[in-house]
Amino acid sequence: MISADTFHLLLQGVANVSLQSVIMILVAFVLLYLGIVKDYEPLLLVPIGAGCMLANLPLSPLIADEGMLKILYHAGIGNELFPLLIFIGIGALTDFGPLLENPRMVLLGAAGQFGIFLTLLAALLFGFSREEAASIGIIGAIDGPTSIYVSGILAPHLLGPITVAAYSYMSLVPVIMPPMMYLLTTKKERAIRMEYSQRKISRRTRIIFPIVVTVVVGTLVPFATPLIGMLMLGNLMKESGAVERLTKASSQEIANIVTLFLGLAIGSTMVGADFLKLSTLAILVLGIFAFALDTAAGILFGKVLNLLSGGKFNPLIGAAGISAFPMAARVVQRVAQKEDFENFVLMHAMGANAAGQVASVVAGGVLLALMGAK
Amino acid sequence: MNNLGWGLQMTMLGMGLVFGLLALLWAMLVIVLRFDSEPAAVGAGKATAATPPEAVGPETADTPPPGATVASVDGMDADLLAAILVATLRHKEVRRAQAAPAMRSYWPGSLLYASRWVASGRSRQNHVWERRPR
Repeated sequence: MISADTFHLLLQGVANVSLQSVIMILVAFVLLYLGIVKDYEPLLLVPIGAGCMLANLPLSPLIADEGMLKILYHAGIGNELFPLLIFIGIGALTDFGPLLENPRMVLLGAAGQFGIFLTLLAALLFGFSREEAASIGIIGAIDGPTSIYVSGILAPHLLGPITVAAYSYMSLVPVIMPPMMYLLTTKKERAIRMEYSQRKISRRTRIIFPIVVTVVVGTLVPFATPLIGMLMLGNLMKESGAVERLTKASSQEIANIVTLFLGLAIGSTMVGADFLKLSTLAILVLGIFAFALDTAAGILFGKVLNLLSGGKFNPLIGAAGISAFPMAARVVQRVAQKEDFENFVLMHAMGANAAGQVASVVAGGVLLALMGAK
Repeated sequence: MNNLGWGLQMTMLGMGLVFGLLALLWAMLVIVLRFDSEPAAVGAGKATAATPPEAVGPETADTPPPGATVASVDGMDADLLAAILVATLRHKEVRRAQAAPAMRSYWPGSLLYASRWVASGRSRQNHVWERRPR
């Protein structure tokens, strides 16, 4: 005869289904839908969606103390390992050539970071604490690993919503940026053609660049050393050509494995009880605000450069000074080409985009330094 | 309100630092790139422009002296590159003429390509030479 206890054990999964977990599983479905059907950052949204679903199943052993997702979280998110490993891969995939051909584009990268601090202000107005506001502001870096790194140090409890906002909006760059571009520029400005003089950058300079950036940024902003160090390590390996196997492994195998683990671990933080709060909704709103502000600040800075150059600078280039590489540059090219089919501003935009990559890391380090992170 | 004041300070200081650091980086890049200038390449452009079209072939007084760096790709000068290119093309022609297995576009047995022998065999399979019994 089966006892009541056995029945209880058999049905304990069904008995522990809660409204929160059901909602979070639906959220997981949405993330999976966006990744699989809509093709929005599938490499991250699919593992995040899967992690979220697995973590919200009733009595999920995966998020128990010895559960796989918990182990992954402690192994790579709690100690900031995964974002740094991903940065090596990003460095190995990034070509800083367009930036080296036109170094003044570095300033556009700086302008693209306004969104971080303005979002921080907005988050304070929403009633978040200083650490939380700084973590939410870093969504404005439009850089997933930087967002994870900074928020993991300043406000680990907000890691889930911040990461989801950062990555899902990053995939929406082609949707978020153009309206701001059209709003802030005139047809004439968008059609400005910029002269492009290709400059040959020697291999020696390409090798020196990551070393100089690491030493300069690492010395001036020690908090940025892990981020910039790994980014530039990947780039140094790529440009030196001396360690092709390591470069390939960093940009493919390691990046893929870490992306899977990172996504699953982030997804596992999206447990209903912690995630279904008004603060999550506020973070999602502030995230999109940060993206829009970055674009606006970049374009306005581009307008200043346009003024200083006597109308020779296309302000759209300013919008590419963010870290979403190379998507932002492609969006700029597409918008410019809509006004004038023969206008090619892609290489200028790529320069600004590469600068945004470095600038977002610098801004992350500056933010940590100002917050007195330990 | 206290928090807002702090936030404004953070914004001013933060953006000031970001701009300052990146301006410094810009200056460093300019210095690095200054050492990267390639005067030899510029000189080569002048030399080419000064060379009359009919002077192509035999060396003239305007052509750069032997050993001069004309233009470099990965540390190799233009003459060396041209020699490598000619040698590679010649080698390819020789291999193609020899019809060495390495020059095959498809592996033997590939369905993407049928050699004349295979085509002939297939044809014979489809069109038997013997008259069909009536």
